Amino acid sequence: MVLVLVVGDIHIPYRASGLSPKFKKLLVPGKIQHILCTGNLCTRDSFDYLKTLASDVHVVRGDFDDNASYPEQKVVTVGQFRIGMCHGHQVCPWGDTESLAMLQRQLNVDILLFGHTHKFEAYEHDNHFYINPGSITGAFSPISSDVVPSFVLMDIQASTVVTYVYQLQGNDVKVERIEYQKA
Amino acid sequence: MAGINLSDRKETLFLEALGSPVIDMNNLRKLCSTGIVETCGIRTICWRLLLNCLPKQRTKWPEALEKQRCEYQQFLNEMIIEPGLKRCNAAPGLDDHPLNPNPTSEWNSYFKDNDILLQIDKDVRRLCPDIAFFQNATAYPCEPLVSPTSRLENLRKRVERSVLSSQNLTRKRLGISNLISSRKQASREYDTLEEGQEAHWEVVERILFIYAKLNPGTAYVQGMNEIIGPLYYTLASDPNLEWKEHAEADTFFCFTNLMGEIRDNFIKSLDKSGSGIEASMNRVLCLLRQVDPEVWLRLDSLAIKPQFYLFRWITLLLSQEFSLPDVIHIWDILFSDSRRFDFLIAVCSAMIILLRDEILTRDFSHNMKLLQNYPLRIDVNTIISKAKEIYHNLRN
Repeated sequence: MVLVLVVGDIHIPYRASGLSPKFKKLLVPGKIQHILCTGNLCTRDSFDYLKTLASDVHVVRGDFDDNASYPEQKVVTVGQFRIGMCHGHQVCPWGDTESLAMLQRQLNVDILLFGHTHKFEAYEHDNHFYINPGSITGAFSPISSDVVPSFVLMDIQASTVVTYVYQLQGNDVKVERIEYQKA
Repeated sequence: MAGINLSDRKETLFLEALGSPVIDMNNLRKLCSTGIVETCGIRTICWRLLLNCLPKQRTKWPEALEKQRCEYQQFLNEMIIEPGLKRCNAAPGLDDHPLNPNPTSEWNSYFKDNDILLQIDKDVRRLCPDIAFFQNATAYPCEPLVSPTSRLENLRKRVERSVLSSQNLTRKRLGISNLISSRKQASREYDTLEEGQEAHWEVVERILFIYAKLNPGTAYVQGMNEIIGPLYYTLASDPNLEWKEHAEADTFFCFTNLMGEIRDNFIKSLDKSGSGIEASMNRVLCLLRQVDPEVWLRLDSLAIKPQFYLFRWITLLLSQEFSLPDVIHIWDILFSDSRRFDFLIAVCSAMIILLRDEILTRDFSHNMKLLQNYPLRIDVNTIISKAKEIYHNLRN
């Protein structure tokens, strides 16, 4: 059993001042083993914060990242799963199912993580799983009017991924659970 | 020849003592107080008797053992196997989630257990590094945890931290893109055994974890691993296979009983109480003052505090001061003491007194080193006979 945190589009300090205290209370070190970040951390401080939660942090580059050395696309392996990461501003139209499916085939992955639209999404397409964790700070985005702060936690065991979605609706954290089984 | 005959005779005495229908504990204690013979697995039975893990009546042994071993199996099921299965088959739509801060949450208690486990794991991996025994595979692993078809994860894997292997996509100027492994696989700190095998240290880890879960007051304190190490080693290297097979369960009960007597040394809030570690250290110093005031005065004037060396001697029952065979020999005698661990006090003062000449002439740093790294040149039997001399003089 491995717990993997998926976050992205943090945009601190340009579009958001910080994480919601409700989220900060949930995210404590010692629970999460790995962090996959879909980019747009913007400054080094956000990266350092993620490092405090887990020592193994993987980042891909977003269009507003200061650090130019992050790769554009990355593939990590967790148990039986190949997981592809890409910020998603390179995929046109943004967040389009078919365009993302092309990227999935290119990288040959079971799960594709992407961001950029600041809107949480998790769906199965052609037996592959796609997750957009949304923006953890709920930062402004020109393409969606009201952004709900959200992040995703994956519990990976053998051939199953249980995805927990954390969304800040109003003042409450709502948790949803989605299961994906590898074919 | 005389030596062989003597040990033969001793073995006969032991076999006679253990063979009677009702075991005379006073007689057995007396026999053990000169050390237990190495043959026929006599030591493991004696230790079980001395630590109250076996009743005095021989006829009740099978029943008592059966009961204890079943009980241990139950603990194992309750604390490790069932929660593990539950996590594998968590029903969809459950309210619980991994980041739940609610104390009643199962995930939360899982992480709390992991905190204890992490402590235990660090300590047991390097248990008795002088011998290979604990790194070797056990012949009796816990089947539900190690079988390849099982979905349960063993305790070791729960707290292992790893780095995911990753590849970066790079695009050359020609437009050719390629996945390149960005990081070398971090080399493993410790070699692990093949799937389906379990090292002895993993067995010890499991015993300590169950002990910590059953005794939330003390939980796990660093040093307990050094107490359980010689116990488990002795029981798991029993020449008698029937006993050896159940070493895990029996060690658990021996350890629990032993901890019942020395637990106060491990509880920080009791340090200053009558049964705590400070009281024990004072008893050694009082005895030393009585027997050899000169040495006591010297240590006092050099300001060598008992915390610097006696703390470890007493809490760990001297298991760190000598090599494993010597520790086992000393434990034979410590366990045979009817007023348990009074004799330990005498042994500690004997150890100091035997260094008398050096302590009286050398300076602080030398003496400190001497006491913290007890010199090997002093034979264990010398220490024990000196301790006995002190002990008997004191009681008369």
